[in-house]
Amino acid sequence: MHIVVLAKVVPDYEVPSADFELVENRAHPRYTRMIGLYDENAVELGVQLKEKLGADLTIVSYGLSDDVQFLRKALAMGADKVVLVEGNSDDPYVIAANLKDAIGRQGNVDLVLAGRQSSDMDRGVVPGVLAGMLDLPFVPQACSVESAEGGWKIAQITEIGKRLLKLSGKGVLSITSVPENVPRIPAVKAIFAAKKKPVEKLAEIGARKMSISELSVSIPKVESNCEQIPAEDMDDAVRQLLRRLKEERYL
Amino acid sequence: MERVPYWNISFGLLIDILSLPALAIFGYGIYRHWLRIRQGKANIKLGLTLEALKVGPLYLRSFITRGIVGTRIYKKLFTGVAHGLLFWGMIVLTVGTVLVFANVLFGIPVFRGEFNRLCMGAFLDVAGLAALAGVLFLLIRRLFPPERLTCFKANTGFILMEVGIIAIIVTGFFIEGARIAQNGADPGSFVGNWLAAQLTGGGGLSTIHRYLWWSHGLIALALIAYIPYSPLVHLVLAPANAGLDIPVPGPKMGVVDFEAFEGEGEEETPSLGVSKLADFSRKNLLDISTCLKCGRCHEVCPAAQTGKKLSPKGVMTTLAEYLQQGKMDDESLLDTITTDAIYSCTTCAACMEACPVAVNQPNAILRMRQHLLMERSEMPEIMGQANRSLEARHHPFIGTGFGPNDWRKGLEVPIFEKGKTEYLLWIGCSIAYEERAQHVGRAMVAILKNAGVSFGILEENRCTGDPAKQMGNEFLFTEIAGQNIEEFNELGVTKVITMCPHCFNSFTRHYPLLGAKFEVIPHAVLIRNLIASGAIWLKNSGLAICYHDPCYLGRHNRLFSEPRQVVSSIGKLVEMPRNGCESFCCGAGGGNYWTEEEGTRINQTRAKEALDTGAKTIATACPFCMLMLTDGLKKFTEEQLVKDIAELVCSQMEA
Repeated sequence: MHIVVLAKVVPDYEVPSADFELVENRAHPRYTRMIGLYDENAVELGVQLKEKLGADLTIVSYGLSDDVQFLRKALAMGADKVVLVEGNSDDPYVIAANLKDAIGRQGNVDLVLAGRQSSDMDRGVVPGVLAGMLDLPFVPQACSVESAEGGWKIAQITEIGKRLLKLSGKGVLSITSVPENVPRIPAVKAIFAAKKKPVEKLAEIGARKMSISELSVSIPKVESNCEQIPAEDMDDAVRQLLRRLKEERYL
Repeated sequence: MERVPYWNISFGLLIDILSLPALAIFGYGIYRHWLRIRQGKANIKLGLTLEALKVGPLYLRSFITRGIVGTRIYKKLFTGVAHGLLFWGMIVLTVGTVLVFANVLFGIPVFRGEFNRLCMGAFLDVAGLAALAGVLFLLIRRLFPPERLTCFKANTGFILMEVGIIAIIVTGFFIEGARIAQNGADPGSFVGNWLAAQLTGGGGLSTIHRYLWWSHGLIALALIAYIPYSPLVHLVLAPANAGLDIPVPGPKMGVVDFEAFEGEGEEETPSLGVSKLADFSRKNLLDISTCLKCGRCHEVCPAAQTGKKLSPKGVMTTLAEYLQQGKMDDESLLDTITTDAIYSCTTCAACMEACPVAVNQPNAILRMRQHLLMERSEMPEIMGQANRSLEARHHPFIGTGFGPNDWRKGLEVPIFEKGKTEYLLWIGCSIAYEERAQHVGRAMVAILKNAGVSFGILEENRCTGDPAKQMGNEFLFTEIAGQNIEEFNELGVTKVITMCPHCFNSFTRHYPLLGAKFEVIPHAVLIRNLIASGAIWLKNSGLAICYHDPCYLGRHNRLFSEPRQVVSSIGKLVEMPRNGCESFCCGAGGGNYWTEEEGTRINQTRAKEALDTGAKTIATACPFCMLMLTDGLKKFTEEQLVKDIAELVCSQMEA
């Protein structure tokens, strides 16, 4: 059995908004890089499946050559191998086509997991597009997976509850975070072992782009205005505060 | 008439001959302790050049002061004096007995003239009374023990030994009295003479004397033989433990050489930290063997005193039980002690300070913590997040609203220039990422500018990695420290100013082991020097300022007076009940700044203590203490009373 987890290395997704700045419409390169938030949940789920089923676990990524150092964390968590397609496109078609090519080179793959959305573009489009290209079913917002006769039993989180699904054969799932897939902290031994696990780098293949072009990127300006509420005591202060918030239509 | 040794006794030398098997049993008992202790690993090398006087492996100063004289035991006055009377009384009596023996064997004239009257008579009687008073106090205290002696597990072996010692002393006095009653008064032996006057047994006295004499000798020999099998073994272990204690304050963690692991397979890599007794060093095992369960550490531990699962005495008791039962490879150890307890240690070292026998409790706890974190990946949730943030962002302040340079917005701060700048002003994590602490950085910049000090900061701000180390993540610490050292070397940094005692401690204790070569000066010392040299002028407000000792400046680095001198130059220094080396932790140490506290909050306890001094300003010299106390004080007052000494100095500075 062979499971592939898609992981994208992104700029720190917890940069305080006041400190966030753009360079050429993208996050300033000074921010540290790391595997995306939901991608780590997908890796964790993949490792759990690997441990349960004895599967092979490959991380497939599309990104910069230097991202390998951050992808090693997935190896330390328990993955067996990293495949990185070197490229810098943000186009979902281009990314999906390259991921499809990379997955195709891994032989028979039984399941593809991905984070529900990347932590930089936050679109959640690539896994679906990829499923289309692979001609496989796509299950978004999955939170748990079990092996079932000839396929998979999947729990999907909806806005108010959970749906249990049965997937026959292969598929692509995008994973959301639940307490059960909080990424593990790798032990030091595993970090050392990860240094010796194989990393394969692939050159980008040409692919058709979506006919969408980016016109501009902006980030909200954070303004802070401080206003003292003159009040005698706590009760008075709360009353005044409520009135002000209503007046300003925050409430 | 000159006293006749072994008077009224036939074959008295038998006692001397019997002392040989007694000593052999004693020696065998000590040997058994040694066998146990040497199952530990070699001791950690701290790689520091110490100018301490050493005899073999023993550090002389600590051996004599803490080991023989037992200075720390006097911190509890009554117990200390009782212990001193007993110990020194018994030493004198033992010497007296050896002199008698010397007289018998070699005819050394000890029973003549003034020596007999003052030493063999009066002084031995005084020693006997002193020892008796001491042991009676200790016995009564064992029978009606304070909580510190009984919590977790009382050390039960003492009572038998105390009764034995009382028997030896009492029989000794009666032997003396009976002898004097028959042979006439002995000059100087005031107790014996008085007892003799009370004894009116006539002919029966010599029989009683004979029985008493033999019991006295036999009990004494039995007691000596039994020492290594009883808590009295601390007579040997305590001086040894004190003498082997490297004379550097703090838990002495050393560093781990991870480079040795490169190229090793996952199986061959040695297990990190401590998961079983056999992983401990010999010094750790000696600590465990030496601990007397007196509970002084329990009384001063901020965790134990605020309802956390940790008590240093509890940990040492569990370790001692495992050692006693020979469970060297039993891996249930950490689960018995519990993860909660192991992570509750603030590494404040109050336990080490209180320990009369130089046990290093935090070292044992931190080694177990290393295992939990690096091998089992087990840690409290918030600590885990801080740890991950440190790994990814090089600072542990999860969810901070600030970027690395926000603290100096609108302020002109020079960047360190190679070959030009003298001091590197090290910012560290809290001053960059915590709003309240940012003021400390700004104040320090103002002070340095005012004093005309040549200083600069790093372009890219980082953490020392110390929080990772204290949380048990030695690996991450080594990585971050390595990067810092590399950058310092490239920039040619030779002098560093720290505002955080944790950074200072890390730079001076651990960085040199990783190849760092630079001087570090904590801001408390630098500011003191600037004041002393007249580089800055301050107005003394005369107002009361209460000073809280940060553990890592005070206990860990013995910088008690420098920050106080600074405080005294801007106001009137006021002390809390627990100050100096007995200061109570703010609760942040050991990574516990990032934790969800159980029980009473340590920072509230300490903030209340500070508030109760009546001072309207609470000064400290550590950003973490400042943050913790500021937070702790919120329960009692809305006023912002807590300030770093740099902020106070800055506000009193005359341009």
